[in-house]
Amino acid sequence: MNERKTLRLAVLAYWTCFWGLSVVDKVIPDVQFLWVGKDFFALFIKFFASLGLKDPLFATAALAGVSALEAVTFVLFATALVTHLRGNEERSDAWAFRAVISAMSLFALFSIGDQVFGDRFQLLEHGLFWLILAASWIVFKHPPIDPEHPTTSPLKATRGYRPAFLAGLLLTLGTGFSIWQFSADTFAQVEAPVEGLEVAEGVFKFDFPFLADKRVWETTVNTFKADHPELNVRYIYTGPSELNAKKKTHLLLYVFTEPSR
Amino acid sequence: MLSRSTHALIRLAILLYWTLFWLFNLIDKAIGGAHFLWVGRDRFAQFQKYFASAGLDAPDIANAALLVAAALESFAFVFFAGALLHFLKGRAAARSWAFAGTLFTLGTFTFFSLGDHWFGDRFELLEHTLFWFISLMSWVLFTRLEGAADALPVLPRRPWLTAGLLTGALILVTTTAIFRHNTDHFFQRTAPIAAEPVGDHLYKVAFPFLGGSTVFERSIAQFQQEHPNEMIDHIYTVPDPLRLKKADALIFYIATQDRP
Repeated sequence: MNERKTLRLAVLAYWTCFWGLSVVDKVIPDVQFLWVGKDFFALFIKFFASLGLKDPLFATAALAGVSALEAVTFVLFATALVTHLRGNEERSDAWAFRAVISAMSLFALFSIGDQVFGDRFQLLEHGLFWLILAASWIVFKHPPIDPEHPTTSPLKATRGYRPAFLAGLLLTLGTGFSIWQFSADTFAQVEAPVEGLEVAEGVFKFDFPFLADKRVWETTVNTFKADHPELNVRYIYTGPSELNAKKKTHLLLYVFTEPSR
Repeated sequence: MLSRSTHALIRLAILLYWTLFWLFNLIDKAIGGAHFLWVGRDRFAQFQKYFASAGLDAPDIANAALLVAAALESFAFVFFAGALLHFLKGRAAARSWAFAGTLFTLGTFTFFSLGDHWFGDRFELLEHTLFWFISLMSWVLFTRLEGAADALPVLPRRPWLTAGLLTGALILVTTTAIFRHNTDHFFQRTAPIAAEPVGDHLYKVAFPFLGGSTVFERSIAQFQQEHPNEMIDHIYTVPDPLRLKKADALIFYIATQDRP
């Protein structure tokens, strides 16, 4: 296996996919069948509105500008990938460099926006992406492999290759079996009502599983009402995250009731 | 001997880290859900919700995606574990195996990143890109440290003794503080909290950091017993922006009305 070529391919493939899907996300607005993505239009509208620029033209123009830059970045990375696959290292370097500069400029632009709009978490996110891009360019351009001897000993010739391959297959099959078993055992939770537990007089606790969504909430409340005709639901309290034993519980719901009159 | 080379120790640490990383990921997939002595993450629920949000409700789709992830993770684990064995036996093949493990790792995080774009989860995209980057960098480190390093100089006895004494004293102080805190405060994990009246039919309950759902439920039950003539109208949870940064734990207000 040619380590140098493979590593460079991995870097280009990642960033090509990254920018390609970023462009797709801008082309497909909102949530559609087979695509969720992120609603950047809503995000930009809110950001600009917070500055006092409520005319949607500002957000639309900014988003269009960003999308154009993303499209340019994607094309540059895709071209670098194609030239790499054709074996032209020099040209691939040149395209990849343009792509990295374009992508780093985008993240720099985003970071300026994050500072203006006061979004420190996004600033951290974009700063990290910027750094990762710069570092992945260094790995792409100067992989830690001697260009004179880019190929290491072939994996197939090393001891234990066949047993390892078999072990990987067996592990995949075993894990796959567990996944299907777990799915079959728990999938009913997608719509099954959750059973309540009375934790104080007239107060019932519902411990929602991770698979539960709004449909489970509706079924749970309706089933509870049907099972307890002697009670009126007065108030429903969603337990804040502090009440959850870290990571173990998905959602806690408390239903406060009173006797029916 | 490994201990003779600082480079070798760091290379060993890299292989050990990724072997354990993928081993525990596989265990997490194989166990599924939270059990006694294992919480992990319910990946099936996560994947099922992702695909359902794109209109693909069938559990087999989530299962198939999880299987692809499990296959990539299985091979990443096997190759890193193999690299570790080759490395411990001093064979040059460790590098090829570690490279194969790194490629499977990069492949896994690329696969996850595609999903993050698709399902619009930007936080996970950052997380997976960071892991992709860490994997790339650890491979660079692993190859750069190939070959022997100069042994670190042996420290004289006196600084060792001073450092040892200082460490011992610090361990004693922190351990005493931790055990004392446990003795004095562990009851807060379950003890109900008294509601403090702050207005007409309005009561404040300020949680300790140890408090969880048990404290909440017992506090409500205690409140009902102490205020038999009132009924809870609603509970208002103080949102984060109104709390004093990290100094305040959960605070909620109980609004009541007189029983008819």
